[in-house]
Amino acid sequence: MNYIMEFSTIFSWTFAYDFLKGPMVWVSFIVFIFGTLFQLFKISSLMSKPERIRLSAGPGKFISPPPSPENKKSWYLRFKLSIAGVNPFMTSVTAVFHVLLLILPIFVLGHNILLNNAFGISMVSLPENISHRLTLVVILCALIFLYRRILLYRVRLITTFEDYLFLILAAVPFISGFLAYEQFFSNYKLVIGLHILSGELMLMTVPFTKFIHMIFMLIVRFKIDGEYSLGNGDRVW
Amino acid sequence: MFRKRNTASVNSEEIRAILDEKKTKMKLSLKACAHCSLCAESCFLFMSHDKNPKYMPSYKFLNSVGVLYKKKGNVDKLDLGEIRDIVWERCVLCTRCYCPMGIDIPEMIALARRICRSQGVYPQYDKE
Repeated sequence: MNYIMEFSTIFSWTFAYDFLKGPMVWVSFIVFIFGTLFQLFKISSLMSKPERIRLSAGPGKFISPPPSPENKKSWYLRFKLSIAGVNPFMTSVTAVFHVLLLILPIFVLGHNILLNNAFGISMVSLPENISHRLTLVVILCALIFLYRRILLYRVRLITTFEDYLFLILAAVPFISGFLAYEQFFSNYKLVIGLHILSGELMLMTVPFTKFIHMIFMLIVRFKIDGEYSLGNGDRVW
Repeated sequence: MFRKRNTASVNSEEIRAILDEKKTKMKLSLKACAHCSLCAESCFLFMSHDKNPKYMPSYKFLNSVGVLYKKKGNVDKLDLGEIRDIVWERCVLCTRCYCPMGIDIPEMIALARRICRSQGVYPQYDKE
């Protein structure tokens, strides 16, 4: 048996494709999981609840104000004052983009066929035409983000090169997946190779780049003491 | 943009020591900020200054603590003067700004104020 691989074999698309959908998937998941755990370990000191002296309530009882028309309307006022109320369009676009970014890859038929071939796991999949349209929605949302970053002064002012880079990196797996499904280019293997590679790159960069906001957001919101924390919120400064 | 800094008048060690006290939270906040600008409307100063983006909470946070962290405290009095304008003139620490990620922007602004004060840079209303 010839153990030495020929250069032509190593640089062939078939080899690259098999490598990307085989060992590289494992590498990217390992980097993602351990990288994330490492990042969480680094901020673990912030997640412990600090000791704090709390004053107990004095004598007397709290009388709740009688319901008034203002109170009845308060849920609406609260919504209007929230970010969703002030920026309903951007909130919707952001929510749709992020939900699809996380959920869609799990329910794409092609991914589940690969899972089935590898482990015999059969998952629920979306019909192909639906996932195809939802991919278009993700691309559209990414374009809206790009439009804001380039054309809105207030966003451009705080935008760095990294923001463009990671927006593109988040969109490329979806764009290449869309093009591969459409068989837009004659070299299907090249497009699907790019699709897999970009997906893996995205996964591997999550713990070490701005992508970490997807994990840190939950931690900041629920686990860390702070003015706006929904978990153990308290002023700490 | 690229100017020679005279850092002799500033105690960079002291700035670094203050930054280190809040290093974990500051790094977390800087990493969690997605530069989305959705916090803008929650600042009444932004709203009352014709929506001038330089009043956005994220701009103020990134250009005060963000700069101090990026330069590792190697700043000069001119830099601190700019930060002073941001954290005192453009922020009143009303704590009503709201970040979708939950970043505690007021805490970061308060940290920048503390650093400025440690270097003797703060508004002196009686003299100005």
